[in-house]
Amino acid sequence: MSSKVNAKYGISKLAKREERLAYKLVLPALIVLALVAFYPLSQVFYASFTDRTFASARETNFIGFENYKRLFGITIKELPPIIDEETGLQQIDEFTGELEFVAPFRILPRNPRYNELSRFNFFGKKYVIGARDPDFLRSIGNTLTFTFFSVILETILGMIIALTINSKIKGKGPMRAVMLVPWAVITVVSARMWQWMFFPTRAGFFNAFFDRIGLTDGSTGFLTDVALQMPAIIAVDVWKTTPFMALLILAGLQTIPSEIYEAARVDGASKPRQFFSMTLPLLKPTLAVALIFRTLDALRAFDVFHVLLGGRRYSMASYSYFELINNRNMGYSSAIGVVIFFIIFIFAFLYIRFMGVDKDE
Amino acid sequence: MNKNLKNILGKVGLYSLLVVIVIYLLFPFYWAVNSSLKNENQLMMTPATFVPRDFDGNFSPTFENYKSALTDSQFLRGIVNSTIVAFSVTLLSLIIGAFAAFSLGKLRFRGKRTTLYLILAMTMFPQVTVLSGLYAVITAFNLSARLSMIFSYMIFTLPFTTWVLTAFFKALPVEIMESAQVDGATPFQTFRKILLPLTAPALVTTGLLAFIQSWNEYLFALTFTSIDPGARTIPVAIALFSATHARQEPFGEIMAGAVIVTIPVVILVLIFQKKIVSGLTAGAVKG
Repeated sequence: MSSKVNAKYGISKLAKREERLAYKLVLPALIVLALVAFYPLSQVFYASFTDRTFASARETNFIGFENYKRLFGITIKELPPIIDEETGLQQIDEFTGELEFVAPFRILPRNPRYNELSRFNFFGKKYVIGARDPDFLRSIGNTLTFTFFSVILETILGMIIALTINSKIKGKGPMRAVMLVPWAVITVVSARMWQWMFFPTRAGFFNAFFDRIGLTDGSTGFLTDVALQMPAIIAVDVWKTTPFMALLILAGLQTIPSEIYEAARVDGASKPRQFFSMTLPLLKPTLAVALIFRTLDALRAFDVFHVLLGGRRYSMASYSYFELINNRNMGYSSAIGVVIFFIIFIFAFLYIRFMGVDKDE
Repeated sequence: MNKNLKNILGKVGLYSLLVVIVIYLLFPFYWAVNSSLKNENQLMMTPATFVPRDFDGNFSPTFENYKSALTDSQFLRGIVNSTIVAFSVTLLSLIIGAFAAFSLGKLRFRGKRTTLYLILAMTMFPQVTVLSGLYAVITAFNLSARLSMIFSYMIFTLPFTTWVLTAFFKALPVEIMESAQVDGATPFQTFRKILLPLTAPALVTTGLLAFIQSWNEYLFALTFTSIDPGARTIPVAIALFSATHARQEPFGEIMAGAVIVTIPVVILVLIFQKKIVSGLTAGAVKG
């Protein structure tokens, strides 16, 4: 046996040993992830095709796509006008002065049951959109609205805060510490703090404040008024998560060499010009990652919705929880989980595709 | 002169913006402290006051809310449960994560890229999705509520710790391993005796973040403790905090509880400020 072969043999033996050790060390992590994520995920996929109930001994049946049909079952029907038999004209409501139509529940199918989601006018005719589960479809709308506005506001505010701290000022250290305070507060706790500030009498901060500046009469129900629920809940989320955005953007800003700004100044580029043609493009990779994190986080929002709005308005996650725990519909809740999974997957895919996150690796 | 004036105005504008930002970030917390020092009558006083006042307008704080929060068994049990759960999750994910990270960062083996991408993808995994499936696993293993939380929280702490620690291991120079190997140390000895001590700062950072994430978790905690109220963690206890005999929600006590659980975390965060920022931004920012 020549020494060359021997050496080669030795190396490959070492490499084998290294590989075996590597597998042994990765294995525990993979087992845990399999148990907490992949196996449950497969269970959820399976259960979404059944009528399994939560914490009960009832028999489980395979029902195919029934859960999904129920989630997305939608229909549009025309609402016929109510005709006054004497005059032959459409009846007009005495109090509101509006034309009267047949009530939606008379028009919408009953087996399975469809409930009103919304109404619209089209070429002078009135239509109603019925859904088998309007609460679920609304929860998708709520979650997307919540995600869109909170992520945009957080990014803009985070950018302003990061740029302010990054400019030549004293006290950067303390500022960074202050920024971490909202981040460190438990989400449920921050929801409770804001719930108290939103209190519907002038004992609550916002009502006292808006009354003082003469904007309202001081008895606004921020969390009960349908038009104000979303803005209120977005405000809570923006307060809580802007620091995270600001910290990421700040770290990104600090990697930009200051020389390029000096060069731009010499060339006479204005501040806004510098921002849009230098800072923003250079921040793109950082912003992309921050946006992904925040968007995926916002899409699965549960805490703020559950604590502040309870059963009045759902996010996808809080609706899934509601169906599982309150209604004990494990199969149905699993189907919602699957839908959430795909929606988040699509968002992650689109972001990575269009923001070019994978390109700079 | 003109330029000077512009400079000064710019500075004034900048610092006023800074003040606005600080007020925005701290005000809700200030309001919680303020409200926690008010008694039931002061809380319902309209308009709300910026400090606790009696009817003559004199400053008169009360510590009653803190007393009742600290004697509330639900709340105290919540603190104990949260501490147990968060510590266990942190410890477990650091140990398991460090093993995997060493392997992924420093050893050569087939399937490494796939494993790395898998773990990166896992950091984006939507936990809500598996809520009902996890429940099935937990009933199958017959886990107690506390163990269920410890077990299930690893779905978000483990990918994160593994990912960040892998980056740290990768950054350590190869020469350290090679010289240890020359001295006859096995890869595992190198890991335990040389690399692990070197990554101690990274362990503290990721551990802290994992701890805060677990301390914060609400959805799993709420679900898994629904049948065992004794295992409720702090977020659940605070969300479900209700008075035993008042008609109103006891916001004074809730605010006192909020302040009590927030202050330790804020202190911890302020001490480890720099580490947390570097941990949060690790991976997100190159350079």
